[in-house]
Formats: sequence, structure tokens, C-alpha cells
Amino acid sequence: MVQDSKEKLSFFLSSLKDVYTFFFFMGKKSKKMKIFFLISILPVVIALIIKINQFFSDRTPIQGIYIFNNMTVVMYLQFLILLLALFYGTSVCSEEVEGKTLTYLTTRPVAKSAMLIGKYAAYTSLIIILTTIGVTLSFFILNLNDLLNFSLYKILLRDVVVLSLGLICYTSFFTFIGTIMKKSILFGLIFSFGWENVIQYFPGSTQRFAIAHYLKSLLPAPKTGRFSFLMFRLEPSPPLLAVFMLLLITGVFLGLACVLFSWKEYIFED
Amino acid sequence: MTIKEKGYAHWDGEFLDKKFPWWPITRYGIKLTFRKKFFKLVFPMSLLPAVVFLAGIYVSERLEDFKFMFRDSVPFLQIDPAYFKTYLAESFMIFIMLITVIFCGAGLISDDLKHNALQLYFSRPLKKRDYFLGKTAVIVFFLFILTLVPGLIFIIMKLIFSGSFKFFLSYPWLPLSVIAYSVLVTAFFSFYTLFISSLSKNRRYVAILIFGIYVSSDIFRAIFYENFHNHYFSLLSISSNIQQVGAAIFNQKTPHPIHWILSLLVLTAICVLAWFVLKKKVRGVEIVK
Amino acid sequence: MKPIIETQHLSKWYGNVLGLSDVTLEIEPGITGILGPNGAGKSTFLKLITGQIKPNIGTCSIKGKRIWNNYPLFSFIGFCPEQDAFFDELTGWQFVTGLLRLHHYSSAEREDKAQKALEIVELVEDKDRVIKSYSRGMRQRLKFAQAIAHDPEIIVLDEPLNGLDPLGRRKIIRLIKSYKGEGRTIMVSSHVLPEIEAMTKRIILIHQGKIFAQGDIHYIRDLIETHPHIISIKCSDPRRLASNFIQEEFVLNVKFSSAEKTLLVETNNRDKFFSLIPSLSVKNNIEVEEITSPDDNLQAVFDYLVGK
Repeated sequence: MVQDSKEKLSFFLSSLKDVYTFFFFMGKKSKKMKIFFLISILPVVIALIIKINQFFSDRTPIQGIYIFNNMTVVMYLQFLILLLALFYGTSVCSEEVEGKTLTYLTTRPVAKSAMLIGKYAAYTSLIIILTTIGVTLSFFILNLNDLLNFSLYKILLRDVVVLSLGLICYTSFFTFIGTIMKKSILFGLIFSFGWENVIQYFPGSTQRFAIAHYLKSLLPAPKTGRFSFLMFRLEPSPPLLAVFMLLLITGVFLGLACVLFSWKEYIFED
Repeated sequence: MTIKEKGYAHWDGEFLDKKFPWWPITRYGIKLTFRKKFFKLVFPMSLLPAVVFLAGIYVSERLEDFKFMFRDSVPFLQIDPAYFKTYLAESFMIFIMLITVIFCGAGLISDDLKHNALQLYFSRPLKKRDYFLGKTAVIVFFLFILTLVPGLIFIIMKLIFSGSFKFFLSYPWLPLSVIAYSVLVTAFFSFYTLFISSLSKNRRYVAILIFGIYVSSDIFRAIFYENFHNHYFSLLSISSNIQQVGAAIFNQKTPHPIHWILSLLVLTAICVLAWFVLKKKVRGVEIVK
Repeated sequence: MKPIIETQHLSKWYGNVLGLSDVTLEIEPGITGILGPNGAGKSTFLKLITGQIKPNIGTCSIKGKRIWNNYPLFSFIGFCPEQDAFFDELTGWQFVTGLLRLHHYSSAEREDKAQKALEIVELVEDKDRVIKSYSRGMRQRLKFAQAIAHDPEIIVLDEPLNGLDPLGRRKIIRLIKSYKGEGRTIMVSSHVLPEIEAMTKRIILIHQGKIFAQGDIHYIRDLIETHPHIISIKCSDPRRLASNFIQEEFVLNVKFSSAEKTLLVETNNRDKFFSLIPSLSVKNNIEVEEITSPDDNLQAVFDYLVGK
């Protein structure tokens, strides 16, 4: 019995690896990924412009790490990772149904759950790589004069981890949405830029119904002044609880997506 | 003559020009949009601001009856061009328009590209111009419901509620402003949406791009302004440009201290770029590289 | 022979639309043709037996095991879907090797199997081109390649000849027939009768979601024995022969064909009719040059059964 379970697990993991490799390769090669790469390095261009301006400006420059922190929140946390997770999360299932390529995948000796998790993992890792490249380059450009200050690297690491957690969690949620809904993008946009933003302005426990709440709980509370409105009324959860909640949300939605994907039949539209 | 000796048989007769060959495309586009359940839910909600503003016009004529509700002055209820500008050219309304064009416009060309339908269109007595007109009219239909129709209804209702032409005589140019702004914003969103829709066969991707480009343009403006304190960066933002031009059309103070003509030029440039891309992308035969 | 594919009272609805109704079948190794007009339920049937969709009523099993959500079975199944859909940004080679990866083959095995499959469908020269640059025929062959690349025991082909030129059709037909000899179970669907006829004599006729007939074409002919059957006789004196036929109860109609000296006889008892011809011919000294049955093909069987 134990042996049997072990074999099943090993087969599942091997399937997962095969699916992951297939979709990682395909995702990497796709035109859309190249366009998203360009979009995700736009903050790098902004950082570059700001830095060049600082060189030629007489004004006292704003600290690089300050701009970097704000860029992480404004550009990445509140915009780019949502957009990337929304597109790639919903793509996990919708792409195959819309493109009518699901048949090729579901007629292989691979469990549907392995198919879904493998593709989710491939896309999530690709968008984590995209984001990390953008964030890291922005960091180095903005902190060019302070690169020997090693305490700053902790901030970079923290931000990369928070954004990655965000991508993992949001992509899992949108993967679930993609398996359950046909027109998932509009729901996703309203959720990402409506619900996720509005709910944070509610006091008490209400804001805990947003994924963004747990992500922002992992970032330091901003000083009053510029950009502080972005964390308006944040009543942060303890970091450990925030990480736990993010992982729990990921697990729950990925699990639900697997169950749905395994049992739902997808009929292609003509 | 044997078949092999025959060339293509050219049509020697006359082509009968239909008056509105683009109309079936429009009708079908509108019908398809209304088939979406989610749209049926969201679209009536997008008309809520219009209902609220209409109620405002009503209240403005019955201030005496509603006095108990307002302790101090109620500047909000002054019905003037600023009131119209607040409804039509503030960011919330522009955002509603954006969501609407994502619903009705994302798939307009991309779905045709996906299903290789362009050659079917152009194998009929339909010119490229008719195709674009047909597609644009879908967006025009929905955006006019959000802009032109409420704008004109506000004016008519104000005249009816007040029982005089005083309002009209005070602002005789206001109907023209409403029309001009509605046409401008609709034209911009039509070009913007069709342009992005022609870039991909994937409707979801198009929807993301329509939204992403709009929002990112605003984020860029915010970041650059925060760092450089230069108002000219508002030209980077689609929303700011529309608001600038909107304020000028309604004879109001522009939100950024730069000339509104610059914003109009930026919006026009986007439309021109979109037109060139559309002309290149939409053709009967797909060329595979 | 033990059936490989079994269905019991298989039924499927799409909302209010009936896809398939109460289909009970046993399919043995060899080539089986699924025949029916567009919208008859062929694709629904093939999707059900490949576990793409689940039945509303009934069961479907392959090698005695239910197919829905039973992924290990797909090691034995190769499916060529009807839709012209691909991962367009991949090359033909990447497409086939990528899908072989999902069968857990090693890199060397993948390359070997993909090479063989592409050789069979004659796409080796174009294997490094992106799929979106392929012609319709090439795409069709590529679909076929992915279905056979892992050397499956059961091959299910949904309209495999769609979009192929006559030469391409002949190649694929020859290929499908070559697989028959290897003890495989092959199911091919089509709405074009000569295509199926060229591949197999074992057919399943589907119309409006129901199985009209199943078996060898001659078995089906027996099934429709009561239906009129037209036989063409080319002879020296068709009018005299006709005068003899009209006295028989099983002869329903006699016509003279526009072709020279040809008689068309409609009968509801083919066996009796054929046994009568030699005696009449000898008795009346009529020289019979040719006896053919113009409707002894799938089209005629199909037309009879669907009541055309």
C-alpha cells in the first residue's frame, strides 16, 4: 500500500516535471512573454531616466532606496504583478480551451491535476523571473552610488520575496478563476483593480479579505508623506501570519482549480 | 474554349452599392456584446453615475424641498458646465469607458484574426473603410450611451425641470461641448481599442493590454511627476490628456497647468499611429513570416 | 476476439441538444469506420471514447477500464482531433517531441520516436518550421504524427483526411491501412463515404446521435434486406428479360437505363433475384454481359438507412 502510494507520488512528480518543462519552454518562446518582458522592464527605463536626471540636476537627489521602495509598491505590487498573474493565471486553463489545444494535453498519460499544477508552476516561475529581473535592475540603477551598503540588499531580497509570494498567490487565484469562468479576464480586472484596492480602505478585519493586505503586511509601514496613501489605513497582520495566509490561499485555490479541472468537461466553442 | 484556356472571369456588370454596408458588422458586434452575461450585469451599473447626476439636476430645481438635507451651501448642485465636466471628464467616468471598451471592443478585430475571418469579410462587397466603420460603430454605440446620450438628456431635463430657457441662454455652447467631447473621447477610445485588438489573436491578451497601457500611462505620469515636479509629464497619461481636453471643451480650468492643445496633439498622435497600424494589420490575406 | 472498446447505453446531451443517444457497442482490433453526416454525433462519440467529455448516461471503457479521468490508459491511445488547433509558435519537431515528453520518454526516445513519426507523415524536411507557416495538409499530417508518435495500440482519428489533397489522402489512407496489420485498434471518422470505404469494410453508421447500423458492409446489407435494392444488368435483350422479371413477387420495379442495353431492376430479395438470373438467361437465350449493383456501396446503405 505504502509502496503503491510512493510509486503514485513519484509518477505524479515525474509528470509534474515533464509538464513544467514543456510549458516553461513554450512560455519562454512565446511572443507574449517577450512583450511582457518589455513591459516589466519599463520601471528599469524609468529608473534610468530618474538616475540620469539626478546626475545633471542641481537639486538634492531623493534617496535611491526611497524611490525603489515606492516603485516596488506602485509599479510592481499594485500593477505589474497583478497584470502578469491575471494573464498567466487565467491562461493556464483558458488558453487551452480557447485555442482548442486542451485535447493534446488531456490525451496523455498525465493526471489532470499534474497538468494544471505543472503549467501553473511553469508560468509562475517565468513571471517571477521577469519581475525579479526588472526589480533587480531598477535596484542597481537607483542605488548606483550606494552599492556597497549591504543593508540595502536585504531590502532588495525582501521585495523580491514579497513580489514572488504575490505572484504565486495571485496566479493561483487566477488559475482557479480561469478553470471556472469562460470570460475570466474582466472578472480578474475588476477583482485586481477594484476589490483589491477598495477593500484596503476599510478598517478592521475587512481588509484581510484582500491578498494585497498580506503582501503589504510584509513591507514596512511607510512614513507619512509621498505615497503613504498607498497603504492608507493598513492594519498589518504579523509577518508570519501573512506568509502563512498567502501560502494557504495559494494552496486552497490551486487545490480547487485541480478538482475543477479534473472533473469539469470543457466544450470548445465554434 | 477548354477550361485550361480560360482565365479568371471578371465581373462585367455593375456593383450595387449598399448604403450602409458596414451596418451588419455593427449589428452583430452589438449583439455579441449583449450576449455576455457579465456585461449584462456590469453595463447597467455603469449607467448609475448618469442616474445620480440626473437626480442632481432634479434636486437643483427643487432645492427648497431638499433644504433640510443640506445645512450649508451646496456647490455640487450648481448646474453649470463644470457639472457636465464632472460627469463626463473625470477619471471615474473615463475608467468606466475603459472597462466598457474592454467588454465590447477587445475581440472586435482579434476574434476575426483568430478565426481567419478577414478574408471572408473582404470577399464580399465590403471595403476596408466599411470594415473599420462597422467595428468602430460598435464602440461608438456603447460609448455614446455613456457620454453623448446622458449629456444631452441632462440638458433637456434641466430645461424641462426649470421650465425656462435661462440655462440654455446662459450656456448656449454647452450642447456643442457635450457633442464635441463625446465625439472626441469616443474617437480616441475607438482607435485605441481597435489598434490593440489588431495586435493579437488572443482576446484576453488584448483586454490586458488595453487596460495595462492605460493604467501604466497614469503610473508613469505619477512617478515622473513625483520625481521631476514637471507638469509636462501629464502628457504621458491617457487619462490626464482626456481630462485636459475635456476641461478645455467645457471651458473649465485644466487640471494641469499646461496647454490643453498639447494633450489634444498627444491623443491625435495616438489615433494616427493606431490608424497606420490598423491599415497594415487588417488585410484580406494573412502573410506568414 | 475480445473487444477493446466497449460502450453501454452511452448518451450525451449538450444542454437541450442531443449529441449521442443510447449507444451500445463493442469494437475489436482492426479498422472501424465511423460514418455519418456532419452533426451526426461522430465527434461526440470519439470524444467520449477518448475521455474528452463524460457521458450523461452509460459507460465507456477501454480494455475493460473506464476511460473518463483514467489517465494511465492514454499510454495506449493516440488521438488525432478534428479541430485545426496547434501550439502555433512551436515548430513541428518541438510539437511532437514536446507531447512525447508528456509520455515520460527519455530525450533519446523522444527524438527517435518523433523522427519516425515525422518520417511516416513525410514532414521531416519541414520539421523545423513553425507550425503557423504550415499548409493545411501539413498541419493535418502533423496532427496524425502526434497521434502515432508514441506507438499506441488504439488510434482514434477524427476526420483525418480533412483538408488533404488527393495525394495526401491516399498517403494517409495507405498509412492507416498499414497499421491494421499490427493488431491495433483504429477508429476513423468521416462524412465522406469513399474515404471510409477505401480504408475498411467494418463500419458504424451514425445519424442524429444514434447508431443506425454496425458491422461489415455486407452484414449491413443483410440488415436492410427488406429495403429495395437496385441491380443493373447489361444484356443482349433487356426488354425480353424484363418481361420475365415482372412476374416475380420480389421484383418491385423495372426500368431501362439510358446506357445501351441495360436494365435496372429493383428487388427486395437480392438472393432470390440473383439465383433466378442464370436460369432465365439460359431459358430465354439472353447473353448477360455484366451484372452490377450500383448501390452496393456505403452511400447507398447510408441513404437507405437514413431514409433518403
